[in-house]
Amino acid sequence: MATANSTTGMTTPAEPATGGLLVLLTPMPSEQLEGILEQLSGAFQPDSLVIATGDGIAVDAWPSLTFEPLPSAEMSVTLTAADFVNAHQLAEKHESRGMLILGPESGSLAPAALHRLADAVLSASADLAVPCYDLPPRAGLVNSAILYPVTRALFASPVRFPLAIDLGLSRRMAERLAVLSQRLPAANQRDTLFWPVNEASVCGLSIQECEAGSRALPQPVDPDLNTVLANVTGALFADVEAKAAYWQRARRPVGSRPPVPQTHAADAPMDIGPMIESFRLAWSNLQEIWSLVLPPNSLLGLKRLSMAAPENFRMPDNLWARIVFDFLLAYRLRTLNRGHLLGALIPLYLAWVASHIGITASGVAPERHVEAVAAAFETEKAYLVSRWRWPDRFNP
Amino acid sequence: MQIIAGSILKRVAFQAAPLAMPDNSSVWRHMSDALHQSMYRVLSLLIAILPGLLAFFVALVIFALIGMALSATARRVLGWARFDERVARNRTDINWTPSSSPTELTARVCFWAFVLLGLIVGVSAFDTSYATATALPISLLPYLTHAVGAIFLLIAGTLIARFLARSVLISAVNAQLQYARILSLGVKWLVLVLTAAMVLDHLEIGGNIVALAFGILFGGIVLTLSLAVGLGSRDLVSRSLESHVERTGDRGMPPPTAAQGNVETIRHF
Repeated sequence: MATANSTTGMTTPAEPATGGLLVLLTPMPSEQLEGILEQLSGAFQPDSLVIATGDGIAVDAWPSLTFEPLPSAEMSVTLTAADFVNAHQLAEKHESRGMLILGPESGSLAPAALHRLADAVLSASADLAVPCYDLPPRAGLVNSAILYPVTRALFASPVRFPLAIDLGLSRRMAERLAVLSQRLPAANQRDTLFWPVNEASVCGLSIQECEAGSRALPQPVDPDLNTVLANVTGALFADVEAKAAYWQRARRPVGSRPPVPQTHAADAPMDIGPMIESFRLAWSNLQEIWSLVLPPNSLLGLKRLSMAAPENFRMPDNLWARIVFDFLLAYRLRTLNRGHLLGALIPLYLAWVASHIGITASGVAPERHVEAVAAAFETEKAYLVSRWRWPDRFNP
Repeated sequence: MQIIAGSILKRVAFQAAPLAMPDNSSVWRHMSDALHQSMYRVLSLLIAILPGLLAFFVALVIFALIGMALSATARRVLGWARFDERVARNRTDINWTPSSSPTELTARVCFWAFVLLGLIVGVSAFDTSYATATALPISLLPYLTHAVGAIFLLIAGTLIARFLARSVLISAVNAQLQYARILSLGVKWLVLVLTAAMVLDHLEIGGNIVALAFGILFGGIVLTLSLAVGLGSRDLVSRSLESHVERTGDRGMPPPTAAQGNVETIRHF
């Protein structure tokens, strides 16, 4: 029998549902919350479902669902350490067999996608279930340029979206992430990014990627590219540095993924002139900073790129891979102030975006190019390992 | 009578002769006496302060060696305690991360603190021996303290100027401002000029002339920049701001819906 909590207005069960699925909803606008609750009501049996949310919800409208209150927090487009701590604590309380963490705009996910994520962890076939979204060709470019290739090359993980905002976790995966989160001061848990795919790889836990179809991407709180790229890339570099002992061991390359069917129509041709001009401006002004980080070979490649005409503006995949790895090394060696280092990476990333758009406009499928980039990162891993181990001696 | 007068005259003339004619040997003797006495005073002073000078170098060397030993110990202890990882866990803001690891910074601070302590002890010892060796109540310590403070000011100002120049350069380039390098150089030289004025003021060199010159120079630079931005670069600034607003709108726009048709958008994240 449910009892009403007069303080929060939420319904708490007299006997907590055990052995079922815990769904943790990160902070989101109320209209999105209503949408995801509808999806969950339709997709799962209500008596085996516990929904944890910190947002105000009219529980009377959902009498069949069981709710758990969470501390209120600001909306975020990434999952943070605090989310994993909450998930683990509630999973222990309700003895849930598996849990889903769903981010903003998760109501746009099809019920079948939610089912696949939940089944992967409830059936004990995976400790970590990561969705594979079907996004428009020009969406998630930071993931295509940096996050996916680096994660695939160093952690041998084929997961296309390593920083997905929706995840399925088993009890032990949640426990592992919660233990790591609790080492952080409470004030930092809300801002610290975690990399569940990397953690699962290091711990030897099983990862399963589930087709999730299309999904609406939430708007970052601060949409400025400078801030987003610096935060996300800096967090990835810090994680790679912390796990150096793992990824330096040789691993079998992942190989090409199966081709993803393109359901989104090709975007209209885009003028990449401003991005190329931005890169050329950066080339003329940031050369002395880039020369502290990049070896002469890479600088020569960038020089040639700066002189290329817009229709021939193509950044070679191995050049981009070496640039990212050189910045990763500079991050570790503190060659520059880290804020300056990540700021200096932005024009190079925009050059890659311009090159990617140019390549896809010429008829190459976007996913095919992204896979080629990821393969280049795998090929250049030996370069990273050599420079990581002998930073002063090996400098081509 | 004449013989007596002559002998008296001879005696008087003989006695008056040294007074009437200069005695060269006496002048040279006085001069050499003066030189000998001054050399004696200076050498005595040098001999008196020599122990103080030696004490200065010995104190500096000993404290530097202690600093090196403690610095190496601190580096090992902090490395064993994984100090870098603990500090990194507690930080989320990357904008102020130093170029050296926290362990390295702590070890360096430890070393230089002991060098500074040795310097103070050595200067104090030298100052004491100098004060006792001379009658003049001159003490070098306050001026040397000012000099050390001025050196610290100069180093801090130079580091801040470099950091700010680089920050402004990268931010201006990412904001696609064509005059990024000029802006960066301007910021760097403003900070360096300010630092130089502070150092000279700290050393009490130049007095009001330095303050006045700095005020005129700094005010002139700021006024020039204001006029340039307000009058001469008005169109350029408005174009830069407009293009920045358009780009922010492009970067932050949601994915195109069917109703929007072929709207060109990029979602970086």
